[in-house]
This record gives sequence, structure tokens and C-alpha cells, in this order.
Amino acid sequence: MKNLKLITIQCRMELLRMIRNPYYIFWSLAMPILFYFIFTRIVDTGAAEAGQWQAHYLMSMTSFSVMGTAIMSLGIRLVQERVQGWSIYMRVTPLPGSVYFFGKMFVQAIMHLLCIVVIFTAGYLINGVSLSFWQWLFSGLWILIASIPFLALGTLIGAMRRVDTASGVSNGIYLALAVTGGMWFPIEAMPGFMQAIGKWMPSYHFGGGAWAITRGEAPGWDHILILTGYLLVFMILSTYIRKKQQAD
Amino acid sequence: MIQQLSGEPIVELKQVTKTFGSKKAVNRVSFTIERGSITAILGPNGAGKSTAISMMLGLKDTSEGEVLLFGQSPKDLKVREKIGAMLQEVSVMDGLRTREIINLIRSYYPNPMTLEEIAALSGLTPEELGKWAVKMSGGQKRKLSFALAIAGNPELLFFDEPTVGLDTSARRLFWQTVRGLKAQGKTILFTTHYLQEADDIAERIVLFHQGQVAADGTPEAIKSKLTRRTVSFIADADGQQVIRLLHEVPGVTDVYEQDGRLIAVTSDTDTALAALFRAGLTVRDIRIDQGSLDEAFDQLTMSQGEAG
Repeated sequence: MKNLKLITIQCRMELLRMIRNPYYIFWSLAMPILFYFIFTRIVDTGAAEAGQWQAHYLMSMTSFSVMGTAIMSLGIRLVQERVQGWSIYMRVTPLPGSVYFFGKMFVQAIMHLLCIVVIFTAGYLINGVSLSFWQWLFSGLWILIASIPFLALGTLIGAMRRVDTASGVSNGIYLALAVTGGMWFPIEAMPGFMQAIGKWMPSYHFGGGAWAITRGEAPGWDHILILTGYLLVFMILSTYIRKKQQAD
Repeated sequence: MIQQLSGEPIVELKQVTKTFGSKKAVNRVSFTIERGSITAILGPNGAGKSTAISMMLGLKDTSEGEVLLFGQSPKDLKVREKIGAMLQEVSVMDGLRTREIINLIRSYYPNPMTLEEIAALSGLTPEELGKWAVKMSGGQKRKLSFALAIAGNPELLFFDEPTVGLDTSARRLFWQTVRGLKAQGKTILFTTHYLQEADDIAERIVLFHQGQVAADGTPEAIKSKLTRRTVSFIADADGQQVIRLLHEVPGVTDVYEQDGRLIAVTSDTDTALAALFRAGLTVRDIRIDQGSLDEAFDQLTMSQGEAG
């Protein structure tokens, strides 16, 4: 009962902070929407079926946006709060660490949902992308749930000591994942070795589930298994680093 | 064993060691803090004070030994409901106003102080309470940091170098408030590298030197330990004989001649004088000197060198 009260207050405060700092959300949305516009309206990609390409690329850009929010804004904010001494202070208070973490995850989930809704809407407005109600719903849900491994990656970046490092590293990882995972250009259009690498990237499987849904298929087991594998690796690493940092 | 009269132990350190690489930041430190007391951990920068506080707060694990607060681990949530801390790094949360942060922290505790009480004790004005926390000046952030420490109405308060960067009047006000908290029965532990401050405020000083407790006692006891007392005089008799005699006296640590005077360094000037008179030696112009306390403390600080 008491924890429920704590969770409510913590989530409300984190939400308030998010709303008051729209800078983070703006960048998560602006770049994917701009890309979407360019690669479906300006540049002729020569895709055989325009409608399918527009739906496919909409999923690419939504995944791209959510992945960025998960890695960058979570990671950098975690580092910021530690550098400023805030998260250290929180450990002196009786707030359970799990509630503090839950508040962060709650706000991330809201941000991801916002990214999905806004970019889906943009796709509809820019290209009139038409998917069935269930396709919209399931692709949205897929992107929301399958973003969890990237939140774990964000938490891992959040263990870094300096904001500059975290910012640089997360940017690098983010762009590398986006390119190798076929979010910017389908990996089928890439050289063979790039395709081989891409098929082991979490980003490829993240987008993959949503791409499958736009084709009327269910996300494959390979997507689910590989994403779960990455989640476990990131969580184990992050727990290990946190333990080590406290022992210091 | 019979429980000491002075009160129940709130903080217990048992042979606590903290190692960073090969360096021992805190080395086999043991002490007990009793309920309702006000104690200063005094020492130069790099003496291990903050590391000790971090371990007491459960922010750092001990390499060896044990820290108990209220008989339990400092990481226990029940323990944390009873403690408040003002850390060296002033922390604020962006996107929130001062009032919102204070209320957020208050909500974590079972019996917090009211916002009015907190504002009165910390000196935060209504205007400051309405400000964005990140936009506050350094002094205002200090007040917020203090406000957060007391927000939960804790029984035990930690202040890590609380007055660094405060001007004289702010400092006086701060200690006045802390004395008020002590009058309410709260247990207070603070670190400082100002001897004067420890002397003025604390009932007990734990002196840290290179990660170890160099001395532990009342400010009076610490001061007499730190300061160098001397008995000096002009001896008309055989100097060497007087020197030999003085060396035999309990408490005398050194005897030497300077500018025609014999100087005996001793922890107990009375005994040294009595010995002189008893021997019936012809000495004159006797002086008793006490070295400056600050000088002595500075010397300790200097020998600490660049330990960081």
C-alpha cells in the first residue's frame, strides 16, 4: 500500500519533468519524421510497391525513434542524475531503488508510446499509409514491448561516469545500430557481409517484428529469441557494473 | 558488561577499512556514537572523513569491518527512514520547483516535517520555494540541501562539510539551527576541517589522520593533545644536570636549549614545575607557554601532504 503511494508520486513527478523538458522528445521525433518524408516523398527509392514501402519505412522510422529514446535519453539522463549527485542522494532516502527505477521506466514507456502515436500519425498524414486496425495496434505494441532490450542498453550507458562520454558513445551505438539493422535502408540493399552482420543486430530484429506485421505476418521467433538474448546480456552487464561501482 | 550510562549506540563502526587500489582511505576505524550527541569528525582534506561518512550512509561498501546504524545495516530501508544527510555535492533535480522537490522527498518518510517547519529551519523564503531548483544560487542550493536532509524528521543527521563556501553569518545561522535540532534530541554527526568549528559546536571530536582515528574525545582533551605546552626558564646551575633531571619527569617529551633558555616540552606542566622546585635548582624567569592550536592543527594538515 505504501509502495503503491510511492510509485504513484514518483511516476507523477517523473512525468512532470518530462513534460517540462520537451527538448528530449522533440529530437526523438523530428529526425525520424524528416527522414520518413525524404525517403518516401522526395527520393525515389524505386520500390516496386509504393504502399508496402511506405508502411515498411514507417515502421523503420518509428523503431528508429523509439530506439533512440531508449538508448539516448534514458542513458544520458541516468548519467546526468548521477553526476549531479542526485541518484546518490536518492540512495540515502528510504525510497526503494526499485521504485526510483520504475518511475524512470514508466516515463520511458510514455515517451515511447508518444513517439509511436506521433510517427504513425505522421505516416498517415504524409502518405496516407493504410493498415488494418489490428496491424496498427500490434505493430505499435510490438515496438513498445520489443524496446525493452534497448532500455536495458540505455541503463548500461547510464552507468558511465561522464555525460560527454555517455552522449558520444550512445550516439555512436544508436547510429551504428540503425544503419546495420536496416532501419535507414533495408539490409537487402546492402553488400552480403553487411547483411550477415545485420542479421545478428538487435535493431534488425526490433524493426523486423514490425515489418512482418505490415506484411500481414506475425513477428518470427528469431526476432523474439535474439531480442531476449540481448536483453539478458545487457541486464547481466549492467548489474555487474553497478555492483562493481558500489564496491569502489 | 553493564551498559554505559551515556546512552544507546546509534552509530557503530567496528574495525572499518576501505581500500582503494593499494591505498587505505580508511584504516581500521572503530567508534560508537550515542543517541542525542553531537560529534565532529575532524581532519584535513584526504583524511578519509567523507569515505567514512559514505560507508556510514551505505553508499560505499566497507572493504573490511562493519558499520551499523540503529543496530542494523545502513542499507536497510527502516534505517533510512530515521536518517537524513547533507552530502558535499549539492544535488538538485531539473524540471522541478524547490517546493516540489521538498514535497517529493517528504513523501518518502513515514513522519515528515511539515513544509512550513522545513522552510523555517532552512531559511527558504516563499519566493525561493517557488523557484526552479536548478536556477537557484549556490547558497540557495545549500539551503535546499539542508531542507532535504531534515525533511523526513530524522533521528540521526549527517552533514558532510556543511559550511564550506558559506560566509560567516550564514555559518553562524547554520550552527544555530543545528543546535536547535540537537535540543530536539536528534543525534548529529558532521565532518569539518575547521578545528574552530568542531571546538565550538561538537561535544566530541573524532580526529582523523591518514585514514585512522588519531584522537577521540572532548574538544578540551583533543586540544590539549594537539597543542604543545612548554616550560622554559633560565638555569643558573649546571644546564646538563637540569636537562637530565627533566628527562626523568613523567610527561616530558623533549628538553632543549634555545636563546639561553632551557625549554621542556611536556603534556603536564604542573608536574614538571614541581620536579624543578623539589630538586631545589636555581632557575629563574620561568614561563609556561602553549603553542597556538591552529598552528598545531596546520602542522598536522601539512604532514598530510598531497594525499588528496
